[in-house]
Amino acid sequence: MSPAPDVLQRRHRFQWWELLPWAAGLAMFFAFPNYLSFGTQLLVTILFALSLDLVLGYAGIVTLGHAAFFGVGAYTVGMLAQHLGWNEPLSGLLAAGLVAGLVGLISGFVLLRTHGLTLLMVTLCTMTLLEQAANMGHAWTGGFDGMPGLSFTKILGLFSFDVLYFKSQYLYALSVLALGFIVVRTLVYSSFGQSLTGIRENLLRMHAVGAPVRGRLIVVYAISAALAGVSGGLFTQVTGYVNLAVLGLERAAGVMIILILGGHGRLYGAFVGAITYLVLEHLLAKAYPTAWQLGLGLTLVAVALFARGGLLGLFEKLRGAR
Amino acid sequence: MLETRGLCKNFGALEVARDIHFRLEPGARHALIGPNGAGKTTFINLLTGVLAPSKGSILLEGEDVTALAQAKRVKRGIARTFQINQLFLGLTVQENVCIAVSERLGVGGAMLRPAGKRADVLAEAGRLIEMLKLGNDAGRRIIELPYGRQRLVEIAIALGLAPRVLLLDEPAAGIPSAETHILLDAIATLPKDIAVIIIEHDMDVVFRFAERITVLVSGAVFAEGTAQEIAANREVRAVYLGSALDA
Repeated sequence: MSPAPDVLQRRHRFQWWELLPWAAGLAMFFAFPNYLSFGTQLLVTILFALSLDLVLGYAGIVTLGHAAFFGVGAYTVGMLAQHLGWNEPLSGLLAAGLVAGLVGLISGFVLLRTHGLTLLMVTLCTMTLLEQAANMGHAWTGGFDGMPGLSFTKILGLFSFDVLYFKSQYLYALSVLALGFIVVRTLVYSSFGQSLTGIRENLLRMHAVGAPVRGRLIVVYAISAALAGVSGGLFTQVTGYVNLAVLGLERAAGVMIILILGGHGRLYGAFVGAITYLVLEHLLAKAYPTAWQLGLGLTLVAVALFARGGLLGLFEKLRGAR
Repeated sequence: MLETRGLCKNFGALEVARDIHFRLEPGARHALIGPNGAGKTTFINLLTGVLAPSKGSILLEGEDVTALAQAKRVKRGIARTFQINQLFLGLTVQENVCIAVSERLGVGGAMLRPAGKRADVLAEAGRLIEMLKLGNDAGRRIIELPYGRQRLVEIAIALGLAPRVLLLDEPAAGIPSAETHILLDAIATLPKDIAVIIIEHDMDVVFRFAERITVLVSGAVFAEGTAQEIAANREVRAVYLGSALDA
């Protein structure tokens, strides 16, 4: 049977199952009050993975340095709080997004002349340069030790961050994620998003239909950087510290693994991937404290061999085959 | 409509286009023929701005467009198809055509409205898909289609740009002969004010379609004239047409 020809006309409409992740998010709040710290980390990670999906999954920009923007956001919030006493959460996130977006715009302008492996290396270089800058700028960034013990004022002047149970942190992160998700969802189903998939699928053809390819790539790179910056800022706010790890290769590679696990270019791949990754890490670390990464590696090999579209891709295939 | 003056292109010592003077009248049906390696595709690449000429100029409606980037020339109405399909393989036929139409209508960068709610884009894409008899495959991904069907999507994308000059690089290559008529019908129903250049090795297609023919050999214009003149030209028969026409 040929697929319905009106997929394009319908896919942007909300489906009932799209409520599930948010229902699950709220259910977690009530069902596992002792795991809300873990849950908050999960939400921050999902937002970060979602920002990567926009460039990697939709526009096909191969980057290994996306933690650069996560880190810029995290340090923006940290330095504003530490040095200027600017510790109002919402405006802090806005600043994180703006600064990271600006860094994305400038670096994108320079880097997005390149493709493939070259691009992979220069994005990695950019992140490493920023990491070293943070390491050496001790007076502003706290250098290797970072900035511990940051505190923030009440959200909207009403809800204070509670360090013991993470209740307000969790709901705050869930709200920010929901907003970020709406931004990404709107973008990928728009004509702009459609043109990004065109760039990913065939650059030559995209030039031949008269699209301003490089301009589109720079714009989406900046938007994605801003979102990554917001997730980084969120990380600093909910944990109360920032250190060099926010800019590290481990974080950049981790978020890429998450997207590959869940399925890139699929909007919900970030959710599925982040949950799978963090749960897997949690369980494996418990079972094999010394060699848990082996289990992760084997899972990745299996995904690369049998499920190129990640878990969501596998699900789509199974549903299609039925 | 479209004119080149003394167009040259070298790759080092290799001359792939030599002093090409070419004129395309509005509404022309013009074929470009010649042996393999004659520089036909190079000429298309020069016209569309994929390659910059080493010497000479290109004029579109009397205006010099030699220095204009590819995307700008598309906006001025030069569209092409590729000798080897260049499609968005993972996307559906409908999306492939919609991407081209969105760019032409200037909404390709719009971020808020869902692409599926652009009635004007969808209607225009739908019209082209029907015109090329691709209706049953509109929701299929390109990768699932046989090569001949994909070839028709190439044409639909080019038409989606509402060109005034359409460059078809071996459009019939890879289409089963039973389906060539869909292509020829589509070309025949193009508005008369679109000028069409076709590169083709199938002489049946060339002589059914073309009013004028230019023969390229080794990057230079070898002969130019009406279809009848070229068919009767002894030298052209000797270097290229010979066997193709006698068969």
